[in-house]
Amino acid sequence: MELKWVTRPKTQKPKSLSPSQPPLPIFISTKPSHINPDELRRLYGVCNLSGHRFPTQADEFLDVGKLRVALYHSSFVVSVFCKSRDMISASEESSSSSSIGMWDLLQKVVKPVTPQNGELVGFGRAVSDLGLTASIYDVMVAPPLRGMGIGKMIVQRIIRMLTRRDIYDIAALCSENERPFFEACGFGDDILGSTTMMYTRTVSASTNGNQMAKRFGRKLLFVPALKKQRFTNQ
Amino acid sequence: MPTPTPTPTPKVLPSSLWPNVSLGLRCGQTNQLLFPYNLHTDIAKASKKHSGFRLRAGFWDSIKSGFLKNSTTQVVDLPSTREEAEEPLPEEFVLVEKTEPDGAIEQIIFSSAGEVDIYDLQSLCDKVGWPRRPLSKLAAALKNSYMVATVHSVRKLPGSEGNDQKKLIGMARATSDHAFNATIWDVLVDPSYQGQGLGKSLVEKLIRALLQRDIGNITLFADSQVVEFYRNLGFEPDPEGIKGMFWYPKY
Repeated sequence: MELKWVTRPKTQKPKSLSPSQPPLPIFISTKPSHINPDELRRLYGVCNLSGHRFPTQADEFLDVGKLRVALYHSSFVVSVFCKSRDMISASEESSSSSSIGMWDLLQKVVKPVTPQNGELVGFGRAVSDLGLTASIYDVMVAPPLRGMGIGKMIVQRIIRMLTRRDIYDIAALCSENERPFFEACGFGDDILGSTTMMYTRTVSASTNGNQMAKRFGRKLLFVPALKKQRFTNQ
Repeated sequence: MPTPTPTPTPKVLPSSLWPNVSLGLRCGQTNQLLFPYNLHTDIAKASKKHSGFRLRAGFWDSIKSGFLKNSTTQVVDLPSTREEAEEPLPEEFVLVEKTEPDGAIEQIIFSSAGEVDIYDLQSLCDKVGWPRRPLSKLAAALKNSYMVATVHSVRKLPGSEGNDQKKLIGMARATSDHAFNATIWDVLVDPSYQGQGLGKSLVEKLIRALLQRDIGNITLFADSQVVEFYRNLGFEPDPEGIKGMFWYPKY
């Protein structure tokens, strides 16, 4: 848990033009108790993420109760906070002055950002069996603060916590557009050549009507039936 | 041999609050298993070479403890005392029962209680040709898995009271955040029992249990030779371009 400073990388503009933005203080934490589930739900919404891997087009309603359960059972969580004021100034394209006023500096030192006075702007979690494997889910950073290395910081913190417990088999499920991010964090295709597969069986119209199915986002998944016992005499 | 009567579908409680563990065959509302086979008494009676690790996938423990501290908005009162009182019997039932010519009966028993002798598991992994993994890590992984399903073969010789031969012949486990995502790891069946649909049963039971608890993202990483096996069970490779990536440390 600590205070860190992030900056946007310098743009490729000629030197005479706009100076780079001042560094932004953020607070990064691995304590689950620092996360307010309602704030987290808002962050999921802002980042256009829901719990479902195949969400519907419309805004998916993310159940806070389910989110709490997921949080509680995630072996590791990382949360990133920053002050609302700093977030607003970071999202402004052109900064009026590159120098930080004395008052601002004083504010940052005397009243640094904490989980209590800051806004949740970044998050990531991992589920692990704490022995052999781990899976990273739901890494997200609020849109105005992307491109500053916060996401990478979150992933690296998760990895550090896992490798400290001697877990090196770390997987992350990602869609096509998330791949470059994870590649930059040191992830790649499985060297053992395994194929990622997800359960997507749906009910078919042709078979008997007694099939049980449940909806998860866009997918209506078929629930396998309980099979009866077989008796054989050899 | 009596034919089992069809059982009513178990009542499913709102799974976000209280997952329903119901893989056994039930008589109406009571929790009696139709086939009162109790592995535990037999385990106690049978002589075992190793005391081994007795591991139980801790469903109930993980739910009994409280939620996050600063949950000011939604206080969920878990009916923990009631569930503790009626802690369900381990979910196990007989998949197949064979009567051999000499009168011995072999039962193939499915269980989701997660009782795995770690040494039995190690030797089963050897039989299928998997590389060895440290026992302590294996034990931790089982203990912290969301669900561990096993298949045992129990052979009762005629006339021998309580001297059953029990061996582990299959296992599958899943890790999960109990809400959205689950990953299935380590599915294995003893080579001499393969081809009978045991692997299929194991995975289907896991899927059923996960879906009934509203856990919809079920993932696994399949070796090339088993991709078809999982495809037949309803898994799709790289659905909509979703792939798993793995971390490789760069020194």
